[in-house]
Amino acid sequence: MKMSLIRSVLAFLVVVAAFSLPLVLRINSAMLEILIIMCVFIMYSSAWNLLTYSGQGSLGHAAFLGLGAYSSVLTAKFLNLSGLWAINVGGSLVLIQSTILTVFVGGLFAAVVGVFIGLTCVRLREWFLAMVTFGFAVIIHTVTLELKEITGGHDGLPTKHLVSITDSQITDPFVKTLMRYQIEYYVILVFALFVIYVIDRVLKSKVGLAFEAIRENELEAKVMGINTVKYKLIGFALSAFFTGVAGALMIHHTGYLTPEIYSVENSFRPIIYCISGGLFTVEGPIIGTFIITVIWDGLKSFGLVYEHLVIIGLILILTIIFLPRGFVSIPGKIRSRFRSGS
Amino acid sequence: MLSKLDRRFFLTALCVFVLFFLGCTQQSTDTGGGAVERNEIKIGIVAPLTGGMSTTGNDMWQAATLAADEINAQGGVNVNGVMMQIKLVKGDVQSDPQEGVKAVTKLITEDNVDILVGGFSSGTTYADSVVASENKVPFIITGASSSVITRRTDIDTSYFFHHCPTTDDYAEATLLFVDAVVKPLIYQRFNLPSNRKILIGIAYEDSKFGEGVYSGAQNAIERNNLNMEIVAAEKFKTGETAYQTVLTVLKDAKPDIIYPGAVLNEQSPLVLQGRRDVGMNSLFLSIECNDDPDYYTGVGKWGDYSIQESRFGPYAVPDRPVYKAAMKFKDDFKARFGSFPSMMGASTYEGVYIAAQAIENAGTLDKAAVRDELDALEMPEFIEAMEGGVISFSDDYRESKFLFYMEQLRWNESLGETRPVIVWPAHLKEADFVLPDWYEPGQ
Amino acid sequence: MDLGSLVQITIWGLLAGCIYILLAIGLNLIFGVMKVVNFAHGELLMLSMYFTFFIHEFFDLNPYLVIPISVFLMAFVGILIERLGFRPIMGTGKLNEIFLSLGLIYLLQNAVALIWGTGSRTIRSPFEFDSISLGSRQIPLDYLIIIGITMVLLVLLQVFLKKTTLGRAMRATSQNREAAMLMGINVERMDMISFGLGSALAAAAGALWCISGINFNPYIGSAPAIKAFAVIIIGGLGSIQGAILAGLLLGLAENPLLVLLNALWTETANTLTFLNLPADISFLSWQNSVSFLILIIVLILRPQGLFGERGE
Repeated sequence: MKMSLIRSVLAFLVVVAAFSLPLVLRINSAMLEILIIMCVFIMYSSAWNLLTYSGQGSLGHAAFLGLGAYSSVLTAKFLNLSGLWAINVGGSLVLIQSTILTVFVGGLFAAVVGVFIGLTCVRLREWFLAMVTFGFAVIIHTVTLELKEITGGHDGLPTKHLVSITDSQITDPFVKTLMRYQIEYYVILVFALFVIYVIDRVLKSKVGLAFEAIRENELEAKVMGINTVKYKLIGFALSAFFTGVAGALMIHHTGYLTPEIYSVENSFRPIIYCISGGLFTVEGPIIGTFIITVIWDGLKSFGLVYEHLVIIGLILILTIIFLPRGFVSIPGKIRSRFRSGS
Repeated sequence: MLSKLDRRFFLTALCVFVLFFLGCTQQSTDTGGGAVERNEIKIGIVAPLTGGMSTTGNDMWQAATLAADEINAQGGVNVNGVMMQIKLVKGDVQSDPQEGVKAVTKLITEDNVDILVGGFSSGTTYADSVVASENKVPFIITGASSSVITRRTDIDTSYFFHHCPTTDDYAEATLLFVDAVVKPLIYQRFNLPSNRKILIGIAYEDSKFGEGVYSGAQNAIERNNLNMEIVAAEKFKTGETAYQTVLTVLKDAKPDIIYPGAVLNEQSPLVLQGRRDVGMNSLFLSIECNDDPDYYTGVGKWGDYSIQESRFGPYAVPDRPVYKAAMKFKDDFKARFGSFPSMMGASTYEGVYIAAQAIENAGTLDKAAVRDELDALEMPEFIEAMEGGVISFSDDYRESKFLFYMEQLRWNESLGETRPVIVWPAHLKEADFVLPDWYEPGQ
Repeated sequence: MDLGSLVQITIWGLLAGCIYILLAIGLNLIFGVMKVVNFAHGELLMLSMYFTFFIHEFFDLNPYLVIPISVFLMAFVGILIERLGFRPIMGTGKLNEIFLSLGLIYLLQNAVALIWGTGSRTIRSPFEFDSISLGSRQIPLDYLIIIGITMVLLVLLQVFLKKTTLGRAMRATSQNREAAMLMGINVERMDMISFGLGSALAAAAGALWCISGINFNPYIGSAPAIKAFAVIIIGGLGSIQGAILAGLLLGLAENPLLVLLNALWTETANTLTFLNLPADISFLSWQNSVSFLILIIVLILRPQGLFGERGE
């Protein structure tokens, strides 16, 4: 009881911090850009973590990121939707675009494909599963490239932003962009919080228990009467859905979509974040994404070019060897050190 | 579950990281746009400094440093009576659109650069130029070869200036040369009827660049009404190492000439495998970016007699007024960085000078004024030969027009490598084009 | 498509298959003994190319004579990686091993880029201009050497595993680690040897490949490595015959099969015009996709791979 209270208070504080960051500090678009991508990757990593929680480690999750992005962008393009509603912020008219809804189409499409991929994977484990998911990402990439008429092939597609600022007295393009970034940050933050909340609920529910049982021992789970196929597919669908939403949000913020979204890099990143943060926990992906992004962009802003990738590689190796439970286990380790010391 | 102590620790750690994070990104104190009182000009260099394309990216950065240091050594840029020094800022786009957006956003809103130079790989540039357009920052694109960049309609492209030939430009120059010089020689030697079409086989990389070369060749044939036909066009995976299968398929189509849409690390294995493994006694054409020392080393003797399209190369320089400046640039670059500059390096070097000139003309750092000056720019050609001898951006799509020349590779026994000689156009040529004895036409 | 070309393309397929097989068998040896899949295997291949290049440049040796040196050096590097990286995490879960090798990929690729730069390099083979003619076609000598050495290595490996005490101990460890330990086999030593041997095979693949005339840079390893994983998964984890068969299968699928598909597609698009198919799709760049398609189909039909045993 007490523990969950502290947990809630802490979560609340982090949320407050996340909301006040853009207001408290003299922020610029570059920092917001990093924060936005961070929020997207928190969503993405959490979704990846959810699938891993059910014992299915994917090496090709960029497939869902891309599918979500492409389907959302194409829906917005073909339906030619207009702005959803306008709000007045300090004298400028901020138009919330309907892309904020098409991201769900992206998520749904990714989930449908996810179920399909999950079906081919139900009998597979570990490396077999890893290679199949990796392969699906490669195949979906190729197919996207070949469907030139729809996806634009290598040319990609221009995308609508999540919000646009119209009818404004602001003439300085910098301030205008900053404003768009700020509002989009809040939109994406809300999405991220929602996704984390849902994942937290799912993991605590019967579904979460079933996932855990399957992960620990699939055969035993089956004997216990758990419909393992059903739960594995639920895992795939949910994970793909959230990943698709994350991809769509990211690409609507960026303003341009190219097939590079299916890159191996994008498949590996959530893995790095989750491992370093701590697998199978809700806060692991969040902390991992945060810390690695800070190190990554921090080192880069000091002008270390190759070094930053070498250091990321070292961190990954050292974490796995010395901190197999990720950064979230640091407090526990320190505490036990204190205890044994005193 | 973790205890209270852990949670407090976690929170403290979080705060420490937030502070660290801000320290990393909040180096500049001035936010917002507009003209800030400064005594330096900040130029953002947009290039892939890490990842698979980093060789070219670093070349671009080094060339830009050279240009900036030269300008600074001469006192800097005269901006309305104030001599300002140039400061370059790195923007590593990593050949990834998301990283590109991050890098360009940082250059624009945090480093407050006055102008952007560079941009490599069309896919990345499509994405990161959105930021430049939105913030209305002039962007001199010196490394992306797709003509779409200044022609797209989804964003305002009026701040983009393309100082890099497009794939359409390369293909046109190359095929015009083939039509004017290579074709008569082939037809004469093999007694072919003059109305017979020249048969072209294309192997292109699976990327925007490769597709651009393919469509560039199609467009060039159509636009100039050339008596040519593309008999086969096969795609290979970007960065491929084994081309034998693609080349065997091309060989079966029996083309007269092979036009690969390939970059440096692809062209030399492609030619080597085509000539040696598949036994193609055909002429290979080559895109300008391969006019690089690494290509001559890589291709070895197999490159003998093959044709290289170029606008700036390490070995052959056309005897034009630009000759001296180009040689000086190459020597200075070699002395400082120990290697030859690539073509992208050359245009980036010019890009920095163009930026400096436009700012000097504008007499202010105001971005709109600099943009207008870039639009109106008439600058004498510098290290690369330009059409009409001046660097200026066209009215419609703000593209500068380069003058191309064609080289033929000739084996040099003492160096153990091939070296290019300029064979076209007539007023620049150093030697006549030679059709090798082993050449066999297609059918 | 005439027959001569098809034969020639089949040979290109076999050649690609040889590189996959050498890599895949190394992975399989390591997997057999340690039950670890080293995703950074391609980086070992890349390192071997750089070693070969520098030793060849520095001592001006015939590159083929450098191969044993590189192989020996890489075996040592492999042992080092096993000692420092994989041994500490043995038994802590399969995901950790995947992630450790991801870390190794980042580390090795970028360290090489940092030290030696990212420009491409080439080695000139002493037999560059020699080829053996096969009727109207010809095959460069270097490629025959690749195929020859691969076969010799495969035979030697079989002899080692079947006839020597050490090889038998390794096989015993792969079959049942606990039992092997009870029988007095030093399994940790087996881990070290298998990792060293696996790295040595990757080194041989890398050295042979770069001498045959390709350009290499720090990023060259990932593509063949990912194919080698596909090979061991298709063949069945731990199975040497499976890896050989699957390696050849992928080599052939990526070359002659794609060429036939390409020809078939063009033919269909040109004859059945009412279908309005785009005739200019080129399937030759689909190598990765077709490999993974085969992987997925094989695994749907046989989740343990062609020669794999059920369960672990």
